[in-house]
Amino acid sequence: MKTMIATLALAGSLASALAAVATPAAAADDAKEKCYGVALKGQNDCAAGAGTTCAGTSKIDYQQNVFKLVPKGTCLSMKTPDGHGMLEQGMAPA
Amino acid sequence: MIPSALPRRTGAGFKPEHFAAIIAEPQPIGFFEVHAENYMGAGGPPHTQLGRLREDYALSVHGVGLSIGSMQPLDRAHLARLKTLCERYRPESFSEHLAWSTHDSVFLNDLLPLPYTQETLDRVADHIDEVQETLGRQMLLENPATYVLFSESTIEETAFLAEVARRTGCGLLLDVNNVFVAATNHNLDPGDYIARFPLEAVREIHLSGHSETVDELGAPLLIDSHDTPVKDPVWALYETVISRTGPVASLIEWDNDVPAWPVLRGEAAAAQRMLDAAARQRAA
Amino acid sequence: MSDATQSAFAAGLLEATPPPAGIAAWNSPSPERRYGVYRNNVAASLTGALATRFPAAERIVGPDFFRAMAAVFIRLNPPRSPLLLAYGDDFPDFAANFEPAREIAYLADVMRIEAARTRAYHAADAAPLDPQVLAEIAPDRLGGLVLVPQPSLSVLSSPHPAVTIWAMNAGERPVEPVADWRGQDALVVRPHMIVEVVPLPPAGAPFFGHLAQGRALAEAASTAMAADAAFDISANLAILLRAGAFTAIRKDQDDEDRDHA
Repeated sequence: MKTMIATLALAGSLASALAAVATPAAAADDAKEKCYGVALKGQNDCAAGAGTTCAGTSKIDYQQNVFKLVPKGTCLSMKTPDGHGMLEQGMAPA
Repeated sequence: MIPSALPRRTGAGFKPEHFAAIIAEPQPIGFFEVHAENYMGAGGPPHTQLGRLREDYALSVHGVGLSIGSMQPLDRAHLARLKTLCERYRPESFSEHLAWSTHDSVFLNDLLPLPYTQETLDRVADHIDEVQETLGRQMLLENPATYVLFSESTIEETAFLAEVARRTGCGLLLDVNNVFVAATNHNLDPGDYIARFPLEAVREIHLSGHSETVDELGAPLLIDSHDTPVKDPVWALYETVISRTGPVASLIEWDNDVPAWPVLRGEAAAAQRMLDAAARQRAA
Repeated sequence: MSDATQSAFAAGLLEATPPPAGIAAWNSPSPERRYGVYRNNVAASLTGALATRFPAAERIVGPDFFRAMAAVFIRLNPPRSPLLLAYGDDFPDFAANFEPAREIAYLADVMRIEAARTRAYHAADAAPLDPQVLAEIAPDRLGGLVLVPQPSLSVLSSPHPAVTIWAMNAGERPVEPVADWRGQDALVVRPHMIVEVVPLPPAGAPFFGHLAQGRALAEAASTAMAADAAFDISANLAILLRAGAFTAIRKDQDDEDRDHA
């Protein structure tokens, strides 16, 4: 019975969905991007580590420092409308 | 066994960010080289772009993850992926490094050095036999840029490479920047290294930039960083090599701080002028 | 080189141990700084591979924090394959439990979007289902349809506005306070060559999630309806077709019966 209802609803919904997609969404994609995609850097290469310094990371001591580090990216500039910083936001309502 | 057969011209390492500029007009480029592991996904833009490039240019597939110098057996699954890739694109050449990068199933993503002993020579030669049998083609083996030596080494690197090439029939990829970097790092004369190198086995040359620092005693320490134009002493060494070999497929590698395409193309053109001069010199 | 020598050389690359025995330099029997070049190469190249895959996360926490977080992840979860294009699939889960990032509760979900996008980028190519094929299905058979998902398809659900925050940090919109702070669901899919992040309406995630798992259309719709009464079948079907999220109709029981008739 439940399936029957869903079936009837489905047929009607599909009809309006088909009508909706028949009008193509405005898209002015670059033709080259459309054919070949965007260029993402490959992750395997055979060069030595970027940059000239081999001193910076030759001592692996992040483990101690990392827990003192504070995130300093865009997370600091994003505030919720009621003025709470994101850092205080915690779990948002689902 | 399909021999390695790149055109005796200059090529460029393919960077996806250059794709649009490259296909916009015909390029004075003899071949492109790609790192095999970046084309081992199932589909998507990497394959579409490489397929398009392949329509117009010769191709060199350069592996950076097979770990030929491992004391462990080769990774059969990875070898199978290389076979699939070579069958799909039928490159003019496949090459890998005299180095190791995997240990105990951990991939360390760097080309790590080997001591040159009879034991490592036997191991490397066995692995190259396996690669060439599996792929049904000749491979090229590249000399490494190294930063340390091993006290147990008993064979010179040039002799090691000559013997591997003789035993397996593989060709050699002479990275002139690596020669300059390693010779400087070990206080050796790069010209002397070239004089001892088995040039008759060379099927491709690599050129790239490096960066400079010092060790804790103040001695020069060069890093194979591929982030600058080719430096003058490396160009000079290259001219020495091709005056002896004649024109050889020569690649500009630029992997970090990658410049706009015309800059990389300009480097390849500079190398091409040297190749042309070497050809004229030999003809005279 | 014995296997033990190689083990010692490898061990020091990920751990802060002295250089292994047996290495040397022309001017020193204990070339710490030279061995450090290899250590740096391993750290820098793997961190670089993660930064390439998670650029929005790097912007959110800043480069210093990202590098430090990556260093801990790399030590605990070094790559097990030379295919770096797949390295970091479990980095979002790691970030979710990374104590110093605890207060940025949305970080892991933004990273899940980034991981799904790079998986989609490299996934197998498949042509999307032609809407005309669906249009020709008899109404009584619609409910039993089982669809084949794009190899690139991921269905993501977040209790945070992760899609908006991702878009801000991927350069798709300006970084600013999130006006409507509520959970967001999305499809990540590559119907042709361009990877799309498609926000979903209410209960879109259970609907597409069930379809992607091979449940029939009516069952997926009923589950979504039960999850949220606001579920709009028509709107979701339009997204399904427009996003190219599925590639074909899987043979169902009716087809089998017909074939044997």
